[in-house]
Amino acid sequence: MKKNSKKEIKEALKKWEGEVLNPRVKKFNLDKSPTTFYTPISSDSSHFLEKVGFPGQFPYTAGNTPLEFWRAYAEFGAKLNYRSDWGGTGRSGKYGGFGTPADYRDYLLRMQSMGRKGGPNIAFDLVTQCGYDSDSHFAEGEVGRVGVAVDSLRDFEIIYEAYTGDLDIDKVPSNFTINAPAAVFIAMYACLAKKRGIPLDKLTGTPQNDILKEFIARGTYIFPPKQSMRLFRDTCVFCCKHMPELNINSIGGYHIREAGATRVQDLAFSMANGIAYIKAGLEGGLEVDEFAPAFTFNAFGGSMEIYNEIAFQRAARRVWAHILRDRFHAKDPKSMQIRQPITAHIGCSSTTLQRPLNNLARAVVGGMAAGMSGAIPGAFPPFDEPLGLGHSQEATQLQQDASRILLFESKVTDVCDPWAGSYFMESLTDEIEKDALAELEKIEKMGGTVAAIENGYMQKAVARSAYERQKKIEKQEELIVGVNCFISEHEIDVSINRQVEATYDPQLMKTAEERQKENLVRLKRERNGTAVVSSLRSLKVQAEDKDKNLMPAICECVENDATLQEICDVLREVFGEAQPMKI
Amino acid sequence: MEEKLALMIEAAGENSERALAKLISHVEDRKTGWKDIMKTIYAKTGRTCVIGVTGSPGAGKSSLVGEFAKRLGDRGYTIGIIAVDPSSPFSGGAVLGDRIRMRDISTYQNIFIRSMATRGMLGGLCQAARDVVRIMDFAGKDIVIIETVGVGQDEIEVVSAADYVMLVTYPGGGDSVQAIKAGVMEIGDLFVVNKCDREGADIIVSEISAMLDLSTETAAKIPPVIKTSAFTKEGIDELMDILSEFIQKKKKGPHYQKDHVRQEVISILETEMVSIIKERITGNGNMEKELELILSGKSDPYSIADKLMKRFTVIKNVEEKRKGDFQ
Amino acid sequence: MGQDSKIRVLVAKPGLDGHERGAHVVAYGLRDEGFEVIYTGLRQTPEQIVSAAVQEDVDVIGLSILSGAHLTLTKKVMAGLKAKGANDILVTVGGVIPEEDKKTLEEMGVGGVFTSGSKIKDIAAFIRTKIGGNA
Repeated sequence: MKKNSKKEIKEALKKWEGEVLNPRVKKFNLDKSPTTFYTPISSDSSHFLEKVGFPGQFPYTAGNTPLEFWRAYAEFGAKLNYRSDWGGTGRSGKYGGFGTPADYRDYLLRMQSMGRKGGPNIAFDLVTQCGYDSDSHFAEGEVGRVGVAVDSLRDFEIIYEAYTGDLDIDKVPSNFTINAPAAVFIAMYACLAKKRGIPLDKLTGTPQNDILKEFIARGTYIFPPKQSMRLFRDTCVFCCKHMPELNINSIGGYHIREAGATRVQDLAFSMANGIAYIKAGLEGGLEVDEFAPAFTFNAFGGSMEIYNEIAFQRAARRVWAHILRDRFHAKDPKSMQIRQPITAHIGCSSTTLQRPLNNLARAVVGGMAAGMSGAIPGAFPPFDEPLGLGHSQEATQLQQDASRILLFESKVTDVCDPWAGSYFMESLTDEIEKDALAELEKIEKMGGTVAAIENGYMQKAVARSAYERQKKIEKQEELIVGVNCFISEHEIDVSINRQVEATYDPQLMKTAEERQKENLVRLKRERNGTAVVSSLRSLKVQAEDKDKNLMPAICECVENDATLQEICDVLREVFGEAQPMKI
Repeated sequence: MEEKLALMIEAAGENSERALAKLISHVEDRKTGWKDIMKTIYAKTGRTCVIGVTGSPGAGKSSLVGEFAKRLGDRGYTIGIIAVDPSSPFSGGAVLGDRIRMRDISTYQNIFIRSMATRGMLGGLCQAARDVVRIMDFAGKDIVIIETVGVGQDEIEVVSAADYVMLVTYPGGGDSVQAIKAGVMEIGDLFVVNKCDREGADIIVSEISAMLDLSTETAAKIPPVIKTSAFTKEGIDELMDILSEFIQKKKKGPHYQKDHVRQEVISILETEMVSIIKERITGNGNMEKELELILSGKSDPYSIADKLMKRFTVIKNVEEKRKGDFQ
Repeated sequence: MGQDSKIRVLVAKPGLDGHERGAHVVAYGLRDEGFEVIYTGLRQTPEQIVSAAVQEDVDVIGLSILSGAHLTLTKKVMAGLKAKGANDILVTVGGVIPEEDKKTLEEMGVGGVFTSGSKIKDIAAFIRTKIGGNA
């Protein structure tokens, strides 16, 4: 057989459109149909090595590695009846936190006695996330609610009473979902190690430490963007120098997309944020390959559009790799890779409160996309996600099983980047990359993320996109089963039993605020007041000189039992406070 | 007047926030009896100092207003703030977000903040805003600050009716000086370059000073140009000194000035006339047939306008009189 | 109502919860339905919300809460309104509200609860019916 030339294909395509496609379009009035057919001329296959490459090689389009580490353990784990949400030694356990530090410690101990031995993956309450103490007037009703309340090193130490011996902090990693006051928590982690006589270079884990997306999407900011980036710089340098095994941050596009951003905005804003963090590290005097390998990503956003999400992951890997290599001259492959625990998924915002069991079907779609884009095919989230705070045991079981079915029965992960070379997927990947780069350039022209936050561009863009989508749903331009279509009385609402594990005792919850306030009173009575005042004063002096690294001063405050709010208040005084944006 | 309204007026005069807010809505909505309200309270107004603040979008006006209102509040003044934002031309609705930047003062006992949409009132915004100022005045506010985005002519008119007008710009606005030039230069009593912690503030100050120098006839009249930052608080003390001086002066001066009163009567008349024209001549399909005449080439807009005027006796008389003047 | 009358709505986010998507969408949506929406931004205390509602003379308050603190915060807003004689203002709550809490909120005097998937058109229609305006 003779090879087809591009010209031949082009001509054949034209003929096909004229003789086969167009008459059909006309006959059934299909000019608005999204269905498309792709051919070799849809994509540029002549640059396979540059644009796709092999898994584990630049530009990482096909994946960070040819064989992800979990593949080695997958079958082993299956035979051992391993539950990924329980955590095992050496990896993080289930994300959580509630009540007072003692409440949470007791919970962790109880979990450990049941075999759930993962390292702590701590959720903090909103009071802590916003840099207030439990006795602040902002705290009312919020103490210990969406996470554990931590006011001081003493509280932090109480949580870690659950991690000693085989589970000491040089043996299990810790994750902290903390952003605006991340510097204080990194300092607490370091002080805890010091008190336990553990060298800092033995500490592993990940603080989220991604303040920029808080301004764009999640809203738990404290200081203005510029000053927040100074704190990031200081943590970056400190971690790099003293805690080389600890990841520096966990950059997230997930929250940005969930707040309403489009796919392209998600990618462009995440990349812009990443660039800002890299620049902060460089500004701190580091070489790019010293710290960029310690950057992680928690997740980008997701949606039900399976093809687009797979293309998105491929494009993201390529864009980041190019930014690091071409712009920042990174040499270490790890600097150029997007290290993230999951890839594609549907995002919590794709789940519906209406006929919630359908969310399982939706999550499986996301699991497929994940499996085809380089990750464990996680059917995330559990179907009852939109029903309220807390997943039932049934939903978690179904989620776990769906992922296992995808992994072991469908064998979706048996091929690395199964879409590589597809005319369609390569063209879609190129398209997302191109659009995201154009949006990124727009932000760069404004002066980068910090400027685009200060002038409100990013926040407004996200809010507008969210509203545009809502309008499409209401006009039925986007169809969501059980929400805006197929909602007649002929449909039935299928339900199953839901048992929400009583992890958090409601009685404890009720008294958490009061008990934590008492803890705070006791702390303030018992600590050395003079030492607190003098360390806070020294922090203030250091903060006023923007070239100083604040971490040593923050460590000193933490060690002297200064509270989180006391530390943040000093910084508020010097840095000012971030203002919410008018939409 | 309805007893309900009388009671509302009485309560608003006795410091009831709820009554004051309701009174404002009643007048802003032009509900039956609104003019009676204004007539009743008029004699007790004219004491307040009205500060108008306008400038380019993004100049940080709300934050600046928040900052100096807070300081005035701390000095014991009672303050009313009117924050005007545009209505959507499509739906007539609006998102009013200026309170976001005034959070620090939103629970001050002596500060009352009211957001106001332009509501697409033809020339009517100015009067409606003036009415709201007056109600706050009646309710005993020592100072009323009215803030608008200085884009539309309407918004500019609103602040120009104030006793003291502050024009706010900022570095990095691209055409920040241009925005001031466009017809608003003349109304400014004070020019503020806000966000002066950013680069380029000094350049803008000198550009504005140069422009003022060229356009003002006598040196004594040149309004001050200052730099402020609502964030670092730089320049706020200077701003406070300037405002205090004005407030003292206003207190000693007359309640109302003839020019302002004249303007107001004309403005009320204009608004009413416009609504009459809309109702009786151009509304309800009254002129559809005439429009057809123009489109079919049988007439022209000028002749039709003359013809329509004649339908309305009061205006017809005016028209004839005017004709007489010209002949 | 007068010819220029508009329904005024206060969209507020009490507490420290920073998820603004719902609040933004509702604010834009109600604007396009012809309402005047006063948006107060993040981290509002119940006192600030009550004060804004009174000064702005709103017909409706929409509280958006996703942190689980809805009962505590709504209770305080309702009490604050009552103290200021403004408990005739229609209060609605949106966000992540478990089914079993809806009743508790209604007992507090909340007029409507709107969770994920609610349509702006329905929210607007609900408000119009309850308020009875011509906006």
